[in-house]
Amino acid sequence: MRTDLNIPDPDAFYEAILQANEDLTTEQSLAFVLRLALVLANQVGDQAALVDAIKAAKQSMLTRTP
Amino acid sequence: MTADPLPGGYVLPTFVYRRAPELDGKAKRYPVAVVGAGLAGLTATADLASRGVPVVLLDEDDTVGVRGASSRGICYAQKSLETFVRLGIYDRIAEKGVTWSVGRVLCGDEELYSFDLARGSLSEQPPFINIQQFYVEWFLVDRIDELPVADVRWRSRVTGATAHNDHVRLRVETPDGPYDLEAQWVVDCSGHASIVREAVGITPRAEFGVDRWCIADVRFRRPMRPERWTWMEADFNGGRAVWQHQMADGVWRIDYQMPPDSDPAEISRPEVVRARLQAHLGSDTELEVVWIGPYSYRTQRLDNFRASRIFFVGDAAHVFSPFGARGGNSGIQDAENLGWKLAAVLAGEGSEALLDSYDTERRSAAEHNIRVTSRSARFLAPRSAFERELRKAVASLARSFPFARALVNTGRMSQAFDYWDSPLTTNGGAQVPNVPIRQDDGTTGVLADLLKGPDAPFLVLCFPGSGAPRASSSVRVFAVGEAIDGLPLLSGDRLESLGGSREVLVIRPDQHLAARLIDPSRDEVERAIARARGGGSR
Repeated sequence: MRTDLNIPDPDAFYEAILQANEDLTTEQSLAFVLRLALVLANQVGDQAALVDAIKAAKQSMLTRTP
Repeated sequence: MTADPLPGGYVLPTFVYRRAPELDGKAKRYPVAVVGAGLAGLTATADLASRGVPVVLLDEDDTVGVRGASSRGICYAQKSLETFVRLGIYDRIAEKGVTWSVGRVLCGDEELYSFDLARGSLSEQPPFINIQQFYVEWFLVDRIDELPVADVRWRSRVTGATAHNDHVRLRVETPDGPYDLEAQWVVDCSGHASIVREAVGITPRAEFGVDRWCIADVRFRRPMRPERWTWMEADFNGGRAVWQHQMADGVWRIDYQMPPDSDPAEISRPEVVRARLQAHLGSDTELEVVWIGPYSYRTQRLDNFRASRIFFVGDAAHVFSPFGARGGNSGIQDAENLGWKLAAVLAGEGSEALLDSYDTERRSAAEHNIRVTSRSARFLAPRSAFERELRKAVASLARSFPFARALVNTGRMSQAFDYWDSPLTTNGGAQVPNVPIRQDDGTTGVLADLLKGPDAPFLVLCFPGSGAPRASSSVRVFAVGEAIDGLPLLSGDRLESLGGSREVLVIRPDQHLAARLIDPSRDEVERAIARARGGGSR
């Protein structure tokens, strides 16, 4: 799994996610994020990286939330 | 000049009001009048006067700064510093201010990441110098006083403007009464609530943020590094954001984010501010509070930065939130962008299209700055539960994974705008770094030295293997690294790294690259210069 920056324009990407969620309830946003995760997973196309990504996401939830 | 002592021990100048000749029936039409002696107005005046353009500057009071000891814009970006080299005030700024390049972004008591803006920089100027805005304004006034073609009129408030075909008439109120002043061109630098703009019927739409901040300028004894520290969440500030910068005279500027819709009077009460500072700096740290200022921000932009013979510069043209130090620095860039163009038109070497390009280039820059600052503002003040959760996710991933650090946005620092898609640009657009140079007579200096002077010169730099274009009016041609056909020679490692073999660089008077040409003919070089003067077609 790569952990260095690979998003060409991080601020624009962040803004695009916010904009996509502007009119959604929190529950709808959850549905959105799940769909986005699945679409992006298919873009990755590397089983080992996907497994690592799932572990990494889980792991970062267990550390103290800032 | 007399001195007024201010809080924090600052001593600011008072400038001498002089009765205007117009009040005694001696009116004439000036080439340029600048309204407002803030950063933009003073830079415009110094730039125009240094290019030999007679210019009148009108300002409503007789000192620098507004609200006394308010530090206002404190971070001066490399591009502004390079401009100040050309205008002749850089050394004073560097001596008085605090040079920095390292920034740290924190969350709670953990550092998420740090950056060093000096990495890869080729310029002689550092990425940033922090200094109170009134010092920069003061140094500019002193410099303007040395330029004989500048006429600075203090306590001269512009209260009206009427546009005519070949001039603009300004109404000016003074202690000796009102008068009318005529100028061929008006450069309006009178801020976000410009009277000139209102007088010609232009009303910008403003959007106001709900986010509230409070500045505390403070002196204390605890040694701290002169770095930019930003907390996206600080425990000592109720989990809200904090900015920390050192500036001149050992004063620190600390910006605290407040709860939305806080009462400005309450959050800026001296006892409340002192308690906030002690929570941050330690309860036993001895503090001298120099200045307190609550603020919120607005975003506005004009649809056109030019209205016939009036140009809107700095806050009169655009206002955005302060993240990344883009307000003052963009006003300085506006002024520099307009200065050489007006000088060229007044010298008969520029077209209407050149003046229009001020709007095209600087409105693009303002749109960019609004986009960048709005993103930072939104990261810092999430609008929904989802936005707060996303930010939390980013912060927790950022501890372990470098990619997520790039998403933590506590402000993206001001950089020179790249005019790559301007109608003046053939191939280029970026600011050319202010590299050291050595001339063939042994003189050493920096690139900006070659752009000084009354004729608003273009530079043509010919790298080894390229042919020699003709020198013409207001164009200075040099060979770089190796002699070419009797051209004056420039050398220097960083200079020589700016171009490849057989390349020719055409540099505008504001030090932006108009064209990078590979082994061009003389005609191609001349076409690029003509285009950069608003004459060519795309």
